[in-house]
Amino acid sequence: MATTIASINLTSTDLLSDSLSLSAIATLTGAGNSTGLTQTGGLARKTTESASQYTLFAAASYTDDKAHKIYLKNMETSAGLYFLISIHDVEVGRIYAGDWALIPWSADTTGDNADFKITPSTSASHTLEYMIIHE
Amino acid sequence: MATTATLTLASADIAGDPVSVSKTATLTKAGSTNDLDQSSGLNRVHLRSTTQKTLLAANAEGNDLAAKVYIVNKSDDASLYITVSINAQTTGKLYGGDFMFIPWSQTDTSASIKVAATNWTSSTGDIPVEYALFHEDTDFLTNA
Repeated sequence: MATTIASINLTSTDLLSDSLSLSAIATLTGAGNSTGLTQTGGLARKTTESASQYTLFAAASYTDDKAHKIYLKNMETSAGLYFLISIHDVEVGRIYAGDWALIPWSADTTGDNADFKITPSTSASHTLEYMIIHE
Repeated sequence: MATTATLTLASADIAGDPVSVSKTATLTKAGSTNDLDQSSGLNRVHLRSTTQKTLLAANAEGNDLAAKVYIVNKSDDASLYITVSINAQTTGKLYGGDFMFIPWSQTDTSASIKVAATNWTSSTGDIPVEYALFHEDTDFLTNA
């Protein structure tokens, strides 16, 4: 069993009239149990020069309906460059330059495959770092 | 009005070498360096239904704007999970203690973020869930 810890801190001193400080720590475990996730694709990096959508993680390659976690980081510095995240054919959202996301992913294959897809905003060079931690 | 989000992922034993990722993002408006200036604040609900409930209602005015959603399952029971969906597509499940931080496009009013306490029963007890939205649309109201 491996132990992987994820923590998040959301802070702002001026968004609200009082300071904002939210934090959470999670030990990444399997679906419905306390066994640590044991598999990872490792930290990876991909640079694209096409605005075409591509599949980052195919649901069929992972066990259906589990507690997978996906980390993404847009490595660009130009504010207009983003990656659109989609699961199957549903748009989740855009990560703009410098943004990161941590997304639970079920890898459902019971209906349409819930493939995890990425679409760069333009055909300019876009670099993404990503990692999956899974069962 | 800078709001920062910092993520740390660390493991000494999931791979042959340690994994250590630490990244901080300043939350900005779509395609600009201007800071996000709207927030729902931190909300807390107690889920006690296997039926999907709307946590955040999408507003088409928010399409293509920047929005970030933080959700955490505050249950101490690792087996109790919530299923998170957008536009009828399950994105994933948050088990007790898990959190997520995602961008949200709000492509149309169907893109609401919904949650269900899928394996809840009257004997499991409620599942406390906390969430916050950070966004840029001044007309966008949250909390359906």
